[in-house]
Amino acid sequence: MKRVIIIGGGIAGMRSALRLAEAGLHPVLIERDAELGGKLRNWHALFPDFTQAAGVLDELRTAVARRGIEVHTGCTVRRFDARSAELADGSRLEGDAAILASGFTLFDARIKEEYGYGLYEQVCTSADIERMLNEGGLPAAPRRIAFLHCVGSRDEKVCQKHCSRVCCITGVKQAMELKKRYPEAEIFNFYMDIRMFGPGYEELYREAQLHSNIHFIRGRISEAAPTFDGRLQIKAEDTLTGRPLRMSVDLLVLLVGMRANADNAALAASAGLELAPSGFFAPRDPFLGNVRSAAEGIFLAGTATAPKTIGETLNEAIAAADAAAEYLKTR
Amino acid sequence: MALDFGYGISKPRSIDLDRNEFYKGNAVLGKMPELQTCIGCGSCTATCTAGALTDFNFRRLHTRIRRGEFKGIYDEINKCMLCGKCRLTCPRGINTRGVVQLIKRNMGELQSE
Amino acid sequence: MTFYAPFTLPFIIGALAMFLILGIKWGIWTSRLTKPQKRLLLRNLPTRRFLAALWESVREALLHRRIWRVNPLLGYMHTSLAFGWFLLIAVGWIETLVVIGPRFVPLQGHVFFKYFATELPHDPFFEQTMDLLLLFVLSGVALAWMKRMRARMMGMRRTTRHVAGDRFALTALWCVFPLRLAAESLVCALHGGGGFLTGSLGRLLAAHLSPETLAPLNEAAWWCYSTALGVFFVALPFSRYMHIFTEIPLIFLRRCGIRSSEKKGFFDHFQIEACSRCGICIDPCQLQRTLGADDVQSVYFLRDRRYRTLRRRVTDHCLMCGRCAERCPVGIDLNTLRLNARTSLRNIPTDRRYDYLLGIDRSAGAGRVGYFAGCMTLQTPRTLRAMERIFRAAGEEVWWADRDGGVCCGRPLKLSGEVDAARKMMAYNTELFRRHGIATLVTSCPICLKVFREDYRLEGIEVLHHSEYLLRLLQAGRLALQRGERLFTYHDPCELGRGSGIYDEPRAVIEAIGTLTEPAETREEALCCGSSVADLEITDGEQLAIARDVAASLERTGAETIVTACPLCKKAIGRGTERPVADLAEVVAEALTQTA
Repeated sequence: MKRVIIIGGGIAGMRSALRLAEAGLHPVLIERDAELGGKLRNWHALFPDFTQAAGVLDELRTAVARRGIEVHTGCTVRRFDARSAELADGSRLEGDAAILASGFTLFDARIKEEYGYGLYEQVCTSADIERMLNEGGLPAAPRRIAFLHCVGSRDEKVCQKHCSRVCCITGVKQAMELKKRYPEAEIFNFYMDIRMFGPGYEELYREAQLHSNIHFIRGRISEAAPTFDGRLQIKAEDTLTGRPLRMSVDLLVLLVGMRANADNAALAASAGLELAPSGFFAPRDPFLGNVRSAAEGIFLAGTATAPKTIGETLNEAIAAADAAAEYLKTR
Repeated sequence: MALDFGYGISKPRSIDLDRNEFYKGNAVLGKMPELQTCIGCGSCTATCTAGALTDFNFRRLHTRIRRGEFKGIYDEINKCMLCGKCRLTCPRGINTRGVVQLIKRNMGELQSE
Repeated sequence: MTFYAPFTLPFIIGALAMFLILGIKWGIWTSRLTKPQKRLLLRNLPTRRFLAALWESVREALLHRRIWRVNPLLGYMHTSLAFGWFLLIAVGWIETLVVIGPRFVPLQGHVFFKYFATELPHDPFFEQTMDLLLLFVLSGVALAWMKRMRARMMGMRRTTRHVAGDRFALTALWCVFPLRLAAESLVCALHGGGGFLTGSLGRLLAAHLSPETLAPLNEAAWWCYSTALGVFFVALPFSRYMHIFTEIPLIFLRRCGIRSSEKKGFFDHFQIEACSRCGICIDPCQLQRTLGADDVQSVYFLRDRRYRTLRRRVTDHCLMCGRCAERCPVGIDLNTLRLNARTSLRNIPTDRRYDYLLGIDRSAGAGRVGYFAGCMTLQTPRTLRAMERIFRAAGEEVWWADRDGGVCCGRPLKLSGEVDAARKMMAYNTELFRRHGIATLVTSCPICLKVFREDYRLEGIEVLHHSEYLLRLLQAGRLALQRGERLFTYHDPCELGRGSGIYDEPRAVIEAIGTLTEPAETREEALCCGSSVADLEITDGEQLAIARDVAASLERTGAETIVTACPLCKKAIGRGTERPVADLAEVVAEALTQTA
């Protein structure tokens, strides 16, 4: 049976593996962490309909287990090509083709020092919110919450020129979740542009405004500083009135973007892949070759190539698996 | 005397892009094309040292110039302290201090309408 | 003996023209110095400073000691040309004196002595010595050739691209010494005598050519030699060779305490025309080595300013990091000249400007120590937070000048040339500091520090950079730090290091916390982070390219943490590396033990 190495055991890797197994091939899943699931393991609910992340994840993991798919967890791939992957411990896994589904890295909000993440306890990231919601809620009920969009996205100062696509809708989703849990809280979303491109997103945005009374302020927060009474003062320009704006909040949520993994360049060099200027892997072309790479026999799935939603990632995982199966048929 | 309910789009109120001169704004953009990439996030104004003390608003100012509106620009731009905080924060990497200098330099031409 | 021949005319006319023009230039510049500068000159010239200036002139204008320190081969080249030529003149003069006794000999008689002295007895000692000196100079000419052809062989990545006038003068100068060799050898061929060089060459010529051929050749050679000298002398005051004579009055004026200021003045001319366009300033310039900009370096700035062809881009595209000034063998105050060129572009008198500052006071707290974070530090709150912890640990009562936003120190405005407007901010801040009765002013921003020290009148208030302040706290035992195993490297901010001479204090503080390792270029040679507020032209992409370069050099030290002491440097370097970049205050705050 032909073997397909899949690098990355997140939702893209798992979905590809299942598809390959259905097609009668032998997928080999390699995951860096101790268990499968990737970033979704730390997520609470999913936009646009608040589906529990755990539900999606469990279904995928159960199917992988039921299929008896070969899984190597706790393994980091140091270099690879279409026929083999070399792990950090020096061992090798052989295959006939490879799917790269290595995902992304969450932007480290400490880099944007002016927002005070890691410095002031009132500042957290969107990922922290998901974790806290999973753990049962925030430590204290906030009176006022500010969400800041585009942290580590569309920002040349941190060498992240691209839009991370999912933060806008995540900001809307999390604002609604917090409002539901803390109805007394006033919630403000600070944005540069609101990009609601997916099915149901615009509707959710409208609902957030209409029913959850979330305030949207067009302006990017420039800095945050603690106040003497233990809150946080944020500064922005309310660009729609053209005046500087200051306000005190109890919680500042930074909607962190997606960054290319630090080891992308090394992996690309080992496999003969190409990187986009953003640092993500470049597909052969954005259309018919969108899951193919520059190297023969290596396919790309999910956020390894660019920021994507979960739905898009799952679709792409199937497309990549099908392309790999097609490729192996001709060999 | 006609009553003004604030609805009429009389000439002085609207930005008249049929009449306004673009080439002057384009002279600024020709030297600093990155100014066109401004997404109007307002970070520059939010962080502005002068803007915290007076009504100086760099974003509004350079936007007005790009629209061909120059009235009162000179006194306005001279409120800038050139401290450079805006450049440090601009997510588009615009050389904001350079833009201020450029506007000042072109001011003679900009004001002589 | 009349010491006159028609061929000496070009030389005589050239020399007269040169001295005349030199006299006019220096006369105008000196007479139009400001009153205080003239007072300094009169008061300080007849003192020990005169002797010091004399010695410095010998050391620098003749021996070029500073070039030797930068690059010995280049040093030799300049010494052989300058000192060698000087000795040729001086020893030649003595030779004349010895051979014909103490009587008046006109200038051309000394210079063309060999031509006129054919009837006189030969002194073998002088003939050998003069030949040796000529060889010394010729070796310099050969090296100069080599430098033009292949700068790398002389240890320079790049050399200056000269304007046509300079090339003209250069060609004349290069011709002078080979022509002198030819002329003197031909005289020896006809009349005998000469040392190991001219004598041998003369005998060789005599063996192969008849006297009928040699005689007109001899005349022609002396004509050429004299013409080359004449042409060079006429070209000298208008070309880069003006530096030969201008460096000497520059040294004297400087020794008297005269300096260029933020506004243009006539002393500037002494500095500008003392530039030899040696091009030593090109290699250290990061705009050249990282960005490939090759027309904005100090040598080109001074040249363009001198010939009034200065373009805005050249004036404005400079980080003012001071790396070139650090290397300049003439010690020209390059940053000030760049600054006052900007002043003449932009310093518009605006009396009502910044009137909105009146009556504003957003400071907080009270204490004998004032802390001025600086605009940029407000965007690096980790530094601010760390200072807060340190003040608390040291039990210091602090007046916070600008934690909630203050008024800019004025230096960024000054650096862009708007010096009078900058004074308004300086006046505002000075008044603010005085009103709150502080005795010490601590700042975390080297840009603010420099302007506080140099332009503010803060008598009675001691101005400290936080690195100096931290070291004082440590030395006074007011902070207890836990020394660890961490490996640090330190980046010298331009305004703190080269700008304010503070190199040791931050290093001493780091060494109290962990181990310090230095990058390849450090201290006076440290790289600029690229985000200097002085460069009005540099784009974001260019700033990033420089930051990546600097970050890479700091990463090569293998240090886990990169430390610096300037908010701008911290932000800039952070863009170029994944490693943690911390302000000095942060690493101190982290190392504080609970007991302190």
